Amino acid sequence: MKFFSKKNKNDETQLIKQLIAGDEHAFQKVVSDNHNSMLSVARAIVGDAFSDEVVQDAWISAIKALPNFEGRSSFKTWLLHIVSNGAKTRIRRENRIFSLDDGWESETSDKFDHTGHRYDDILPWENATPEAILANDQLQSVIEQTFQQLPAMQRAVLTMYDMKGTGMDEICNILSISSSNVRVLLHRARSTLHHKIEQYQQSEK
Amino acid sequence: MYQCKDISDEVNNYIDGDLPLPKRIGLFFHLLMCSCCRNYLQQIHSTISIVTVAKPKEQDGTDINALAKQLHTLWQNEDNNQKSH
Repeated sequence: MKFFSKKNKNDETQLIKQLIAGDEHAFQKVVSDNHNSMLSVARAIVGDAFSDEVVQDAWISAIKALPNFEGRSSFKTWLLHIVSNGAKTRIRRENRIFSLDDGWESETSDKFDHTGHRYDDILPWENATPEAILANDQLQSVIEQTFQQLPAMQRAVLTMYDMKGTGMDEICNILSISSSNVRVLLHRARSTLHHKIEQYQQSEK
Repeated sequence: MYQCKDISDEVNNYIDGDLPLPKRIGLFFHLLMCSCCRNYLQQIHSTISIVTVAKPKEQDGTDINALAKQLHTLWQNEDNNQKSH
């Protein structure tokens, strides 16, 4: 479960005051912190073709509605709701449906015998701390490429849940999908990334 | 009795605490007995930590500084309009 801490709340209240006062640095921070995750949500709902336009419109709506922000959710969640509403309106206008997911390979069943036990040993990863990964350009690049090849829905869920700390209920509302679907998408995204990191670890031995 | 395949299927729900208690306990007992699955669980934990720290991003050609300036200007105009009314 994700929590929105009191310190974060205070920082955010301060940031919004700065935005309303017209502080240019606050605008830089807000755009830089949120643009990519807004794009991720737009791509998940409306696809690549209209996502840039949807995010641009969402930013304009958000800025105009700034004095109305009541702090009932975090500011980043408020922004994600605005982009999600814009994307859903757009997809209705274009008369399209968005697919929940595509392209998924689970751990292949040939890893398990008929009783469900693994055939092969799994060894602990060496040097797989986040710090070691960040120092390794090649692995960093594997992670970046794998992420970009994930279906848009999986990227959006992974971005919101694992990277931005957005709660499960909020993600369900933003993407209009059930919590069991969010869990499946998260499982697939993490499993694909795990698989690629595992392949990299083995190639380095 | 839970098997390695069940751990593989449910590992993320186990980590995120999204399982009913009886299933959670069943998987926990399998983990006690199976070092492969303990290592697998550790690898998935590491994957999540790595993603959290590496923060891979959407491909995007947007000039963030230019967009922020554009929105700043828009806000100043909005603010001036509100004050003049």
